[in-house]
Amino acid sequence: MHRTTFPFSAIIGQEALKQSLLLNAVNPGIGGVLIRGEKGTAKSTAVRALADLLPDIDVVQGCAFSCHPDHPEDGCDECCRSTTKPLTRTRRRVRVVDLPLNATEDRVAGGIDFTPAVQQGRRALQPGLLASAHRGILYVDEVNLLDDHIVDIILDAAASGENIIEREGMSFRHPARFILVGTMNPEEGELRPQLLDRFGLCVETAGARSPEDRVALMERREAFDRDPIAFLRETAPWNRRIAQQIESGRALLPGVRMQPHLRGFITELCTENHVAGHRADLVMEQAACALAALQAAPEVTIEHIRQVAPMVLVHRRRETQPPPPPDDPPSEKNDSSEESASPEDRKPEDEKNQTSAEVHSTPSEQTRGENRTSPDPGEPKPRNGDERIFEIGATFKVKHLSAAKDRIFRRGSGRRSRTRVSQKQGRYVKSCLNPRYGDIALDATLRAAAPYQKQRRNGSGLCVILTARDIRGKIREKRIGNFLFFLVDASGSMGARGRMAASKGAVMSLLLDAYQKRDRVAMISFRRNEALVNLPPTTSVDLAGKLLAEMPVGGRTPLSAGLAKTHEQVRNVLLKDPAARPIVILITDGKSNVALSDQNPVEEALGLAAAMTRDERIRYIVVDSEEAGLVSFGLARRLAAALQAQYFKIDDLKAKTLVDIVKGQNP
Amino acid sequence: MKSTSIYPFTAIVGQEKMKLALILNIINPGLSGVLIRGEKGTAKSTAVRALADILPEIEVFTDDPFQLDPHEETEVYLEIARALNLTGAGNGDLPDTIKRKVRVVELPVGATEDRVVGTLDLEYALKKGEKRVEPGILAAAHRAILYVDEVNLLDDHVVDVLLDSAAMGVNTIEREGVSFSHPARFTLVGTMNPEEGELRPQLLDRFGLCVNIEGIGSAHDRVAVMERRAAFDEDPENFIRRWEAESRALAHRILKAKTLYPGVTVEKSMLYEIAQYCLDVGVDGHRGDIIILKTAKTLAAYGGRTQVTLEDMQTAAELVLPHRVRRQPLMEIADNVHAIRTRGAGKRKTDDSH
Repeated sequence: MHRTTFPFSAIIGQEALKQSLLLNAVNPGIGGVLIRGEKGTAKSTAVRALADLLPDIDVVQGCAFSCHPDHPEDGCDECCRSTTKPLTRTRRRVRVVDLPLNATEDRVAGGIDFTPAVQQGRRALQPGLLASAHRGILYVDEVNLLDDHIVDIILDAAASGENIIEREGMSFRHPARFILVGTMNPEEGELRPQLLDRFGLCVETAGARSPEDRVALMERREAFDRDPIAFLRETAPWNRRIAQQIESGRALLPGVRMQPHLRGFITELCTENHVAGHRADLVMEQAACALAALQAAPEVTIEHIRQVAPMVLVHRRRETQPPPPPDDPPSEKNDSSEESASPEDRKPEDEKNQTSAEVHSTPSEQTRGENRTSPDPGEPKPRNGDERIFEIGATFKVKHLSAAKDRIFRRGSGRRSRTRVSQKQGRYVKSCLNPRYGDIALDATLRAAAPYQKQRRNGSGLCVILTARDIRGKIREKRIGNFLFFLVDASGSMGARGRMAASKGAVMSLLLDAYQKRDRVAMISFRRNEALVNLPPTTSVDLAGKLLAEMPVGGRTPLSAGLAKTHEQVRNVLLKDPAARPIVILITDGKSNVALSDQNPVEEALGLAAAMTRDERIRYIVVDSEEAGLVSFGLARRLAAALQAQYFKIDDLKAKTLVDIVKGQNP
Repeated sequence: MKSTSIYPFTAIVGQEKMKLALILNIINPGLSGVLIRGEKGTAKSTAVRALADILPEIEVFTDDPFQLDPHEETEVYLEIARALNLTGAGNGDLPDTIKRKVRVVELPVGATEDRVVGTLDLEYALKKGEKRVEPGILAAAHRAILYVDEVNLLDDHVVDVLLDSAAMGVNTIEREGVSFSHPARFTLVGTMNPEEGELRPQLLDRFGLCVNIEGIGSAHDRVAVMERRAAFDEDPENFIRRWEAESRALAHRILKAKTLYPGVTVEKSMLYEIAQYCLDVGVDGHRGDIIILKTAKTLAAYGGRTQVTLEDMQTAAELVLPHRVRRQPLMEIADNVHAIRTRGAGKRKTDDSH
């Protein structure tokens, strides 16, 4: 389907984006571009327009893999073995292959073509999108929303330059060298770092800030919409110039020289920015050469490297230090008093730690935290019954929390826990006898039919005769969202020393994570004498965030009531949807002091907790907001044990970057 | 099934902003849709369904599931016909064309991805050795209005494919060994109740216009709502007849605006005004600017003018910007764009004076 595209030369601004695309056009060895940025900043437009500028390519006629007629030896297996030389050739435009988000694995990589299989009994490969993208552009919009296993296939092919199919009884390889262009909006979740690294360049786009540019942009868009053909004719000379630049750049590229000392400069840049691995160095060299070729310079200069460095480094750069230790809670209210108190406290504490045979050999978060709960007479104690609203503390990236795998089929979307799905999405893991959802596994069906072919011969003209009992279905797996129950302790004890701010920060971080993983959420808080359902089960993470900000703190701690209320709510959810896998996240210091009956409040809460573990579908996570100190009750830990829950300190929730982990192991 | 009678669009009391947004989209499908946010029982769905009355006619091939344009998309038609082995496709024959009203295609919240994008009947294919593609809702929505009730409750993966085709104007089926694409340019109309959760920013951005509506405050109007509803329920046909003249007048006005639209001009100073507005309010990207311009032009055409006025621009901005104002995830959608603008402009002035 051919549509007129907005011309490349008419795009206003977005210089980095345009340059990164041109560099890739000159030297596909750079390894693609990842475009991060706001919506409506000409991302897709630029990619499509680029294809119109690229010179036409020679291909072998009839070859599904777009092999080069002069180099059949790097072509697909068929062209490689072909005896007619030279191969018949044809010229065509460069393709932009769109990868839709719902594409299945067999369409991306290729799979069995069933028409020849059924009609002629021949095993033939149906080429996938990677094949049609060879020598063209593969464009993935919203690459961060793509299923992980599809992203893996694409990046693998992009890195090795060939696509190897080893599935459904096929074994085939063909070249797949393409310019990979992905776009993403970081608000919707990040790409995994190892995938980020596979993109050669990364550019950030933003809207133009000057009114002049914005007006020019509107005018051009209007002109294009009114009469696309005339607009194209008008801009043709500029487009031709860019096309020539690309062509001459490609011709010049092999001859571009680079002084050895510049390699040293590249390495220095990479080490300065704490880049892991060597891909950055290689990509930077390639990109610098491409830039030199594009500007018709015979040699790479330091200026070329400076220009490309930001695009190479922006997504690979790492912090020198692990993110600043969160030991100053951002609640402004308590800060001043704390600052004055802690320096004096710290010294004796630290000495004590070193003398005592503590397990913590490094000044870890915990020991640092201990300083802060040391008795401190200077701190204003919140009066009992006094209600306060704390601000939300600093948020952070949360560790991956997910439910365990089981055999129940579910529907849904999201990215938290892996499960079998009853929809035509996700990774095909194996086949089963009765296809429940019209999702037929071709390979398994053919295999099942194979033994009966002799006795089923009839005049149907087809080579494979299938009956209903041969049909096999696919079992698929993917990640879907969970149900997150937040049970937040809002009692007076939480208000002390900005603990509530830190707890709110933790809940907020979990909520942001829930938004990206598409979870459903509910929130219950307990304080004074009762537990309140602040937010009944909903998909509105926004609402939860707002309620959290407004949640007041004060009063005693009716932990048992909170647990009971949670149990009631979770049970309702499970009645409605028995396949749900709720995760209850309890944020408390465990200091229960109001009981439902006349029992000891702590014992009662522990008893309730133990009873709540009976339903195995529910998973519990306890986040201990108590700061480790001299007087540590460890009640939350006991509670966690009773709930058979995963136990975290707030700081443990943070996703550790690779650097942190390595540092932790080699102090 | 006997077609049920539809409450006439013109008989809806109040909700002028919503009605205006819908009409603008009919005049100019390039505005790419409306998102209607509001409480329950505020005539959201009634208004969208009632559109059928005042929609213009389009020309289509007879029995074409893809509703292609007989003048501009004949090549596409032949291509698709060849791919699907439609009768008479081999020799390039084109079927007859008919004129019919633009449709309102409804996307149910529970729709599966298969139904939305279309699918291959694999069992049939295996037994007979031929491919048979079943077009989905997106095929039916080409050149039509795609209406999603409770769009915020839609499954995320359906939203993703919807976004994909809304952005590109093409629906691509890439699965189970089928690779097939057809044009799918539709006007997306969604309704939602914000209490049930927000939409993701990308999806929000795909809606050209956004209106927040509430129940009517005045007792007088509320009585009118009840009276009209009662009259309609009692005798729908009579009620519709009573409103027929008004409906026809509106349909006529829409048609006139459609022909007027290409001739509407904008002064350069107005473009600066738009750009400055967007900068003051702080929106992501440039889609906001472009759509304000288009909306303002459509408003002028609807008003029977060929020149965009400042008022057109301001009305357009109020419709275009509420959901585009930059905000952090987990924040509320802006309600009053004008207030934000004055704040933004004030800040700019103080910055300048420093």
